[in-house]
Amino acid sequence: MDNYIKDRKIDSNEWMPFTGLEDGGSLPAGDIYVPLEEWLNARETLLTRNGRLGIALRNTDDPAIIKDDLERLDLVVLEFPKMADGRAFTQARLLRERYGFKGEIRATGDVLYDQLFYMQRCGVNGFELRDDQNASHSLKAFDEMTVTYQPAFDEELPLWRRHK
Amino acid sequence: MYQYSEQDHQLLLERVSQFRGQVARRLKGELSEEEFKHQRLRNGLYLQLHAYMLRVAIPYGLLSSEQMRTLAHIARKYDKGYGHFSTRQNIQYNWPKLEDVPDILDDLAKVEMHAIQTSGNCIRNTTSDPLAGVARDEIEDPRPYCELIRQWSTFHPEFNFLPRKFKIAVSGATHDRAAVAVHDIGLRLVKNETSEEIGFEVYVGGGLGRTPMLGKVIRKYLPKQDMLTYLEAILRVYNMLGRRDNIYKARSKILVHETGEEKFRELVEAEWEKIKAGGLFLRDEDFKWVKGFFNDPAYEALPDQDADFENLMLSNADFARWVDKNIELHKQSGYRIVYLSLKTALQPPGDVTADQMDAIADLADKYSLGHIRTTHRQNLVLSDVQLKDLPALWEELKALDLATPNYNHVTDIISCPGLDYCALATARSIPISQAITARFDDYDFINDLGDVSINISGCINACGHHHVANIGILGVNKKGTEVYQLTLGGSAREDAAIGKIIGPAFEADEIVDAVGKVLSVYLESREDPEETFLMAYRRLGQAPFKERLYG
Amino acid sequence: MALQVYTASLLKEGLVAYLALENGHPSWTSDIHQATVSEGDALDALKKAAEQSEQENIVVAPYAIDVLKTEDGIVAATKREQIRADGPTIGLPQDNLRESRQAA
Ligand code: HEM
Ligand code: SF4
Repeated sequence: MDNYIKDRKIDSNEWMPFTGLEDGGSLPAGDIYVPLEEWLNARETLLTRNGRLGIALRNTDDPAIIKDDLERLDLVVLEFPKMADGRAFTQARLLRERYGFKGEIRATGDVLYDQLFYMQRCGVNGFELRDDQNASHSLKAFDEMTVTYQPAFDEELPLWRRHK
Repeated sequence: MYQYSEQDHQLLLERVSQFRGQVARRLKGELSEEEFKHQRLRNGLYLQLHAYMLRVAIPYGLLSSEQMRTLAHIARKYDKGYGHFSTRQNIQYNWPKLEDVPDILDDLAKVEMHAIQTSGNCIRNTTSDPLAGVARDEIEDPRPYCELIRQWSTFHPEFNFLPRKFKIAVSGATHDRAAVAVHDIGLRLVKNETSEEIGFEVYVGGGLGRTPMLGKVIRKYLPKQDMLTYLEAILRVYNMLGRRDNIYKARSKILVHETGEEKFRELVEAEWEKIKAGGLFLRDEDFKWVKGFFNDPAYEALPDQDADFENLMLSNADFARWVDKNIELHKQSGYRIVYLSLKTALQPPGDVTADQMDAIADLADKYSLGHIRTTHRQNLVLSDVQLKDLPALWEELKALDLATPNYNHVTDIISCPGLDYCALATARSIPISQAITARFDDYDFINDLGDVSINISGCINACGHHHVANIGILGVNKKGTEVYQLTLGGSAREDAAIGKIIGPAFEADEIVDAVGKVLSVYLESREDPEETFLMAYRRLGQAPFKERLYG
Repeated sequence: MALQVYTASLLKEGLVAYLALENGHPSWTSDIHQATVSEGDALDALKKAAEQSEQENIVVAPYAIDVLKTEDGIVAATKREQIRADGPTIGLPQDNLRESRQAA
């Protein structure tokens, strides 16, 4: 089990994290994602591959750095190093709302039941749940709340303007 | 007052059942304490010295009588028969059981109340002027703006895991009764000099705690249509750049300070440029809709005088004192604003019993159009009392111990719960406030001293606002004994200032005398009774006070 | 070596509790006088029992406090812990009001 949810369904994770470029070895086939530095260093090489490509951002990175590359990417991985650290919520919204990213935005790290609702509202659609989380139970988290006041990725308008 | 829509109700119900689930998971052990803590704090639930503590939100300090009765019911049914009104216009219960909290929230939801975001690292309850809508010095009623902010900030998906708590205050009057300068964001309604349009002066980076700082004005004039987009831009900059490596450096005040005011402004403005035309841009129809909830009540056309009232003023000195101290003029002729003092020698500052709450609710219905406000100085307000009703109201308040004539005077002390309740405390604060009140409990003395504020905190977190009191008292633990540090010269009003520590701390049995000495220096040195304590302190400086205290 | 007892908050109620260990069986009491006092290496048994109770979701955040044995029994060494053991040092508001009314 990958303990992984994609678009509100339990799914299997087909992506491989890959950091080994500096060893000069050959690039693996299949779907890989690399840290931002790798991408900045070896952009051209990475683009020669056939498989799909993703980038992992640290939560201190400004997503603007990859805004012109987003069309070539199928995945952006964001990190929630601990539950209390909410920087990636902003990154997700910027990727979607400002830079129009259409691929998967994946949450990794302390991805816990009680954040899924907020993550989804910010545009995250892939969730690598922390090991101790129960994926099928977690699916409920997306619908725990149905009323949202403010615009975010899922809503363009605030509630008070929606119902008019 | 804002009326919940079906969706507002729905949201509360969903929230309660979500929290019920979280509590159940915690009790079953599926959630660790560490993880549950984040959830319970987002619902105002702390684990304190003796028990859990539940903080219930009172949005911008406005309560209906029905809500007040529910607060009384909760105090009786689930607590020990009282509650504590805090400096952030909320109410706290000191003894609820974890198992009961979902039921408490259910009861609250029935009267459109909740504990959402009253704690935790998120946007907290927005506070405002307790005289909003009735003050004579008002430019515009701030409550409609507060309500928009409340909705925007409630479960904001992006800003629910901020570096640290985030507090917003809005004032709509020329006098600042909301302490905007000590909030993460302070909004002051202002009129544009040229167009007469309403907008905001925007303060950022204010806060108390261990590094007190006054907010900086990052925008002199923000059109009201841009209020929420601008707030969103500030929060976004803070969420990305606020420090997360050190909890003591995580507040927005440190970010603004370390980034520099100018640079911080540039960051905010740059972000704002990109979102200012987005869905949060406010239109006329939005204002029209929200202002509709805060229309003036149907005031009667009344003369601004009343014979019975005037007779009692002449014949009853106690009544005259109460009127002099606790009554404020109302924008409407024939009406008055009444402060209910929660500062007696009998109760901890801000504490109210369930019986008092019920009685206050009845008084609000009888005399004040059914509404009550809470103030950041831990008092209550009946905002719409007819002049002719003041004598009767006074009699009833006296019987409830709520008519002490001391508003904004020396015994109107702000005090946090301190070591009697608080797990973070280093010293007790309530007994000190009671000792000071007992010492200076003489009307003529209080009257002669005039406008002066004493605030007490039981630790450096400064929940009692001691930094911005004319006379601030901070309890510290010195090798196992409680000692008290004095700061002088602070202010939380439009002339906001952080007080300065005057010297070494005093023992618990010395601090009341020390306050007495400070007050006597003032009384002896003031130029005339018009010169307030703060004015005199600013003229004299620390020296004469130091001399008297330590010389 | 200081005498110590283990204290914590009860998960369900939030109330202050002290650990009593009888024949290896832990129980939690609100009365500090009933707590098991220990010192030195013997504390380990208390620590283990306390952590066990935490894992079983009976208590939250157990820790050891210094206590003194006096004529009146066990007394916590610090002001904070004395207040935790005995409750707020001020009366509850309604009690204060009641007293003043009776006095009046
Ligand atoms: C009893 C439980 C309480 C706890 C655990 C608590 C905790 C804290 C902490 C840790 C801070 C420092 C925040 C920081 O700057 O990083 C703080 C500040 C503050 N608290 Fe409390 N507090 C409590 C009760 C209260 C009460 C009863 C009031 C109102 C009377 C209050 C109002 C405030 C205010 C106004 C500030 C400082 C202003 C600021 O910088 O935002 N708190 N509190
Ligand atoms: S100032 Fe300190 S003692 Fe007082 S309530 Fe805040 S955290 Fe507790």
